[in-house]
Amino acid sequence: MSVDELLLQALNGLSFGALLFVLASGFTLVFGLMHIVNLAHGAFYLVGGYVGIITVTATGSFPAGIVAGVATAAVIGLASERLLLRRVRGKELPEVLLTVGIALVVGDACLAAFGGNPRSTPVPPVLSESVRLGSITYPTYRLFVLSLAVALGVLLYVIQHRTRLGALIRAGVDDREIAESLGIDVPRVFTATFVFGAALAGLAGVVAAGLLTLRPGADTDILLFALVVVVVGGLGSLQGAAVGSVLIGLVDAFSKALVPELSYFAVFAPMAIVLMFRPSGLFGRSGT
Amino acid sequence: MSTARWAGATALGAGIAGVVAAPYVLPSYVVSLLTLVFIAALLAGSVNLLAGLAGLVSIGHAGIAAAGAYGVAWATVHGLGLPAALGVAAALTLAVSVVYALTTMRTTGIVFLMITLALGITVFGLALKLSSITGGQNGLTGIRRPAVVGEWWQFYFFTAAVYGVCLLALAALSRSPFGLLLRGIRESESRMTSLGYSVTAVKFVAILVSGVFAGCAGVLLAWNSEFMSPSAASFSRSALAVVMVIVGGTGTLLGPLAGAGIVVAAEYWLSSYVERWPTVLGVVLIAVVLYAPRGIVGGLEDLAGQRLHRPRKEGS
Repeated sequence: MSVDELLLQALNGLSFGALLFVLASGFTLVFGLMHIVNLAHGAFYLVGGYVGIITVTATGSFPAGIVAGVATAAVIGLASERLLLRRVRGKELPEVLLTVGIALVVGDACLAAFGGNPRSTPVPPVLSESVRLGSITYPTYRLFVLSLAVALGVLLYVIQHRTRLGALIRAGVDDREIAESLGIDVPRVFTATFVFGAALAGLAGVVAAGLLTLRPGADTDILLFALVVVVVGGLGSLQGAAVGSVLIGLVDAFSKALVPELSYFAVFAPMAIVLMFRPSGLFGRSGT
Repeated sequence: MSTARWAGATALGAGIAGVVAAPYVLPSYVVSLLTLVFIAALLAGSVNLLAGLAGLVSIGHAGIAAAGAYGVAWATVHGLGLPAALGVAAALTLAVSVVYALTTMRTTGIVFLMITLALGITVFGLALKLSSITGGQNGLTGIRRPAVVGEWWQFYFFTAAVYGVCLLALAALSRSPFGLLLRGIRESESRMTSLGYSVTAVKFVAILVSGVFAGCAGVLLAWNSEFMSPSAASFSRSALAVVMVIVGGTGTLLGPLAGAGIVVAAEYWLSSYVERWPTVLGVVLIAVVLYAPRGIVGGLEDLAGQRLHRPRKEGS
């Protein structure tokens, strides 16, 4: 590999990692607060992405696509939490099985509504060009995804550590019962967090549609990445999601460039290694 | 003999008679469906072994079954004889089971479920990408099952027999000291550790044992369809096995069979009326989790327990 190629693959890895962070941050936030492993996260991503594509194609506006995709995923998230998950609150296994059911239904609804052909978003002209970075040219869109993820990371950090909402969430994470006894409406915080997580999945879907293609089965593919990222980083940890995303993004890019046939295994390997030596992940709290 | 044992023995006899008589009285497509039911029930049984005894729900077991299936399929396509083909299937099943076991033996609950899911998707991805070995999306064709069980009715009897043997083994495992160890782990890992057991080692062995049953199901699957494609390892196949276990009743011996029967029948009949089969599956899963968490066999057991004025059986 030449230096240019190395730089190119590193940027590919970082921008894919950025997408993974947008996806995994929602997944890990929901787990951190509610202890729900939302296996419908990939389906929320897919539905958000498809709605984004339809909206961008119809209106020609990329921001409108983002709003529509995020809103759709958030509404489905709200319905899932209010109508289903709330009824088995606190029982881990029924909760996760319900999300499997939701994933199947939403994934199938996507197939029914949007068909089986691969689709992607027409990227707005501003972002569809390339920029010169030293000796290589690089697509602006990927750099946009990268900066979006950094901005999101900063925003989430500030929300979690500097705002009242963040304090409520952290209180709920640390001790649900005490938080409730202090008059915090924990169920409402739960609903808000779940909807926010679903919205992030939808955002990831819309953004991904300009980077990858969406097709039936893309939901489980991306779910694998989300699972691996949070297992490596540590379930419930935002820093873990950031580090895990960058790591898995880079591993994916370089393995696809070097040994394409084994790319799936290459993504899985870091997870296996982390699990053997640190079952709770790099930034995870043990005992959760 | 108590009433319950009489009833049990009668049901067992009727069951065996029914299984034997089926090919003589039922149309061949129903018998083929029954073959599918036994294969599905075997895979569900391997999931149930972990879920029912140890409380470890695997949503990636289709990946292990696919290892066995691809093993036998690849070997047959490459002209290996029956013993060698079964050897390849066993080796591949064992290798994949070891990877499952090593990565999950230190986890419990939802983390176990998550990682098995990731493993299952990884196997699916590998089956798709390693096209030089697996045939990729096109799959492996030209697999012939052994001539002894070549006819559909012969294969039906063979599958039923394999399932019967595996069912006995599963029942024995459940009652064995090893089964008790797994139950102990489900109830409290820390208690088992302080009693001097290596929880990690017990889980490791349990996952391998469960993998053997899943691998058998995989071999039968490849022989049944005489075709192998990555979809056998897909997320929905793994989810289907879990649905069968939950619908039938987690931790019950015959629950997976009942669940497999219902799911296979529903898939067959519904798929000719409704196109949206995964939706049906998802809705069934949601409904069972919300309204019948003990499943059908579990619910019947509760009912029987109340009728005979016995103390309620220990829940799973």
